[in-house]
Amino acid sequence: MEKVNEIKEKWKLLPAFLQSRGLVKQHLDSFNHFIECEIKNIVKANEEIRCEADPNWYLKYIDINVGKPEIEEGFNVTRATTPHECRLRDVTYCAPITVDIEHKRGNDRVIKTGLVIGRMPIMLRSHNCVLHNKTFAQLIRLKECPHDPGGYFVVNGSEKVILIHEQLSRNRILIEEGPVCQVTSTTAERKSRTNLMINKKKQIMMKHNSFSDDGIPIFVVFKAMGFESDSEIVELICGTLCETDEIDPNLLIPSIEACHRAEVWTNEQALRFMASKLKAKNSAPGNKPFFQEQRRKSSDEIVRELLSTTIVAHVPVVAFNFRQKTIYLAQMVKRLILAISNPDYIDDRDYYGNKRLELAGSLIGLLFEDLLKRFNSELRLIADKNIPKIKAAQFDITKHMRQDLITNGLINAIATGNWTLKRFKMERIGVSQVLSRLSYISALGMMTRINSQFEKTRKTSGPRSLQCSQWGLVCPCDTPEGESCGLIKNLALMTHITTDVNQDLIIRVCLNLGGVQDINLCESGAKINRNYLVYVNGLIIGITFDPVKLVTALRKIRRGGFISEFVSVSVNRLHKSVYIATDGGRLCRPYIIINPDGQPRITSKHIEALNRGLICFEDFIRKGLIEYLDVNEASDSHIAIKEEVINPGITTHLEIEPFTLLGVCAGIIPFPHNNQSPRNTYQCAMGKQAMGTIGLNQRERIDTLLYLLAYPQRPVVKTKTIELIHFDEMPAGQNAIVAVMSYSGFDIEDASIMNKASIDRGYGRCFVYRNQKCVLRRYPTLGGASDRIMGPLVQSEPPHLPIAKHAALDIDGIAAPGERIQNRQVLVNKQTPVSSTAMETTPLPGKAPSYSVNYKDVPITYKGIEETTVEKVMITSNSEESFLIKLLLRQMRRPEVGDKFSSRHGQKGVIGLIVPQEDFPFNNVGICPDMIMNPHGFPSRMTVGKLKELVAGKSAIIKGTLHDGTAFGGTTIDEITEIMCENGYNYHGKEMMTSGITGEPLTGYIFFGPIYYQKLKHMVLDKVHGRSRGPRAVLTRQPTEGRARDGGLRLGEMERDCLIGHGVSMLLLERLMLSSDAFNVEVCTGCGFLGYQKWCSYCESSRSLASVQVPYAYKLLIQELQAMCIQTKLKLTSL
Amino acid sequence: MDSSSKEQQIPVKQPMVYICAECHHENEIKPRDPIRCRECGYRIMYKKRTKRLIVFDAR
Repeated sequence: MEKVNEIKEKWKLLPAFLQSRGLVKQHLDSFNHFIECEIKNIVKANEEIRCEADPNWYLKYIDINVGKPEIEEGFNVTRATTPHECRLRDVTYCAPITVDIEHKRGNDRVIKTGLVIGRMPIMLRSHNCVLHNKTFAQLIRLKECPHDPGGYFVVNGSEKVILIHEQLSRNRILIEEGPVCQVTSTTAERKSRTNLMINKKKQIMMKHNSFSDDGIPIFVVFKAMGFESDSEIVELICGTLCETDEIDPNLLIPSIEACHRAEVWTNEQALRFMASKLKAKNSAPGNKPFFQEQRRKSSDEIVRELLSTTIVAHVPVVAFNFRQKTIYLAQMVKRLILAISNPDYIDDRDYYGNKRLELAGSLIGLLFEDLLKRFNSELRLIADKNIPKIKAAQFDITKHMRQDLITNGLINAIATGNWTLKRFKMERIGVSQVLSRLSYISALGMMTRINSQFEKTRKTSGPRSLQCSQWGLVCPCDTPEGESCGLIKNLALMTHITTDVNQDLIIRVCLNLGGVQDINLCESGAKINRNYLVYVNGLIIGITFDPVKLVTALRKIRRGGFISEFVSVSVNRLHKSVYIATDGGRLCRPYIIINPDGQPRITSKHIEALNRGLICFEDFIRKGLIEYLDVNEASDSHIAIKEEVINPGITTHLEIEPFTLLGVCAGIIPFPHNNQSPRNTYQCAMGKQAMGTIGLNQRERIDTLLYLLAYPQRPVVKTKTIELIHFDEMPAGQNAIVAVMSYSGFDIEDASIMNKASIDRGYGRCFVYRNQKCVLRRYPTLGGASDRIMGPLVQSEPPHLPIAKHAALDIDGIAAPGERIQNRQVLVNKQTPVSSTAMETTPLPGKAPSYSVNYKDVPITYKGIEETTVEKVMITSNSEESFLIKLLLRQMRRPEVGDKFSSRHGQKGVIGLIVPQEDFPFNNVGICPDMIMNPHGFPSRMTVGKLKELVAGKSAIIKGTLHDGTAFGGTTIDEITEIMCENGYNYHGKEMMTSGITGEPLTGYIFFGPIYYQKLKHMVLDKVHGRSRGPRAVLTRQPTEGRARDGGLRLGEMERDCLIGHGVSMLLLERLMLSSDAFNVEVCTGCGFLGYQKWCSYCESSRSLASVQVPYAYKLLIQELQAMCIQTKLKLTSL
Repeated sequence: MDSSSKEQQIPVKQPMVYICAECHHENEIKPRDPIRCRECGYRIMYKKRTKRLIVFDAR
């Protein structure tokens, strides 16, 4: 056997791949597909509006287009905009949707072009976005970060991502435990679910929403579809009438019996039987019939209609020719009875080949279609109302087309994330989320996130656990811990999500190839069942005599580029079928094709050409060297991870690079293959909280909260992923020199010791930016008075300096950039009008009512324990508010005790102590560490990757290079130790160190070197809280809760138990009453009720009142009980 | 309050100078004027930095 040589620098394909695709191509592709194709199909499906008032009147959409994003500046004045302007001005980045229409005005046919019917929010970096195809310099000029992936929307100034949603694939036969055969059909018009199941009498029943719950015997359904002969049906299902190894037709006998018992022999009887099982609300689903006479239909007619359009809706029935649908139904029954005897036929719901991912494009598509339908019906209503009226001007529908229905519908849905579609009974919340900009990684991680539709509360492990078929497509590390563990996933680096490809072309190719016989030409059920069936997107198109030949031929055509590269062709030997998929939402990933002789199609020659920039990634696909495989096709292939394991003749594909099975967040970790697996998961969560650089335009942004590192560094031990996603250009962390040793007692429980001199030099120093917003509103109710901003108040004494609260204000009443702001100082001195007492005299007729308006101070003040600095003040206006002020406030923070840091291996810890450099240990050349880490962090965590990062980093800085720690590769320990030895270092990475306190050498050798540390956003300054006295809740008079409200520290149930156990009753009394809500009530010793002001209103006397101290909440309880007519008597005794 | 007698409110009358975010032209804008650059028509303005002396501790 000829040995396969390793392809050198194969990973170079990856940058080429990402360059041509970008990191969020799936979002962009989906949105582009929607804007360019899908939207036209939607309009085509709803193109005509007619009305009842005038049968000649109509409106027809000819074309629809989405323009370039623009912003409205007053009435009918628009100008082109950029995403950054929209973010700053709190407006929506959207483009006009224009239609060309043909309609009747009077008796003339009029064509009008370029009518705006609404505005479509535009996904950043999509084809319609101004950022599309811009160079680095052009993007910088647009104040946009060149490395920002795009793929999100800017709605009312905030960045919204429509997350990827995972769903079960539609229009496929799925056998579940039971066994139950389920088909969820989706067509453009309707969605339906058809179930086949076996009841207790072993009869196969069809269940559907429109029929009663016990279902309909399957043979009745067949007969209702026009197949009256039992033997024909059995042949269609089993292909034979007698038992074979494969299938036992006897299993159908109870079902046949059920049909006979129901006395259904003919088509009409079957229809009548089904009509009797129809559920009460038998108005056919879908659109209401338009004309009156259609509304009255016989129930047989309704059943036939249901069978043709709603049951297994995706199989088309033309002119009531049920043959294709019957064959499909027969296959469903076949799979069901096969599953009775052989559990292999039961499908796995969690198998990723059975999943489809729904992206922004399809979600917006659903929404847009719904809105367009509403828009059209509104137009129809207007036409109905206005056409009968006789007016001077002719009825012109274009005058009635309002933009805001579609615009507001789209914007509200994306802004709130609530997708409510009445047509599909869909009500989803949380579809869109605010793009997290804590760090660059968190933004990237959000773009690759996959959300599943499963309930979080369910304890099921199936959908949560890692499925083998997710290999290479979904990151095995990146998932949150806790309730949504495994339900929220992330895409791997090279995953691509397909968009819809026209299936008609593929079907034509299949039929013309000669390998497939058209299903309509198959004369008998025996023939159908003997051969392999060919499914295209869940629809049977025919049978094939030689499946392997067909599949090879189709793959050859695909590799030749004659059909889309995302068409998947696979053989399923168990189902005896060939599955061809062209639908959108499948996950796929590129692989190198291997020739039958075992040689990869890519040679070093190709890589060289790639290096020289002669070819790009697309060329590899065009030339048929690389192809995309989806889950189903990958399951039908043999894929070698490395060149060594290629088995000639068997292996069909070669992995491009194994580290691409990880996602973006896990790609940051050096040597993740050496770590215990949960540690990588922890780091994936923490990388999103690391401070650093969030974008090259970070100084231009005015976000609500922004954490930046003062001196971010690129990691010494990098990975290929880091380079690919440009993390080294926007790093989030610093290379700290770490000594792994114990020091003082302040480093227990993951705390670490920090060098004060390092902090002074800027280690871990960060900036926290916050914004303050202020709008000036108009109040039409107050006669058009509006908010105003006043200048600062000045002292009356001669120098006339502003009062301390207003010290930072300019004469325009807004704080000036550069000013330092203390707690409770005013940033904007705003006043708002309040309606004063009504005018003295009634307004004279003809004269506007004069308002005397008083103003109330509503200043925007700064609250915070540390002072802050005004960095920037922006003044602008938008369509809603004429005046919008945004202040950007900056705070510089040094690390302090309690701030949280983490390495890239899920090893988080806080600063336990800050020690002056003099007391720090130093090595033989006098180097002091920046940080001392306790060695107890290692044994139980087993983060060997961190140890390797330290030695790799140390050897890298000794040599003066950067080292590579890519997963399943990277710099080897041999190379590392070699460098250490050559330079006179211990190859274990250990060093002799001297104590800074005693001056004696430390007794052990210290593991010493650089580790990349991230500063996490959790800082003590944002969390410090304590109070002695403070605000109380109004109702209970107990102290408020929470830091934001300056709340008290609760003595909870468990603490109370403890005090009771100790028997310290006075302490309990003091804690629970005196320090909380002590209150003196008057209790009438006569009747036991509460009195008031020395008077018992029950006894109507003031004789026997006693003052008692109780908690206010208790007094409240008594009164509330009294309100419920429950008497509570207090009996007092003297102690 | 006695402080109100000592303090006095200055109504904003004088125009302030703002810098256009697009063309960096200095615009004088009075209160209630529309926010719009006279040179390029852009609608985002920034305030100029304070003239007062600001001293930071080297920490």
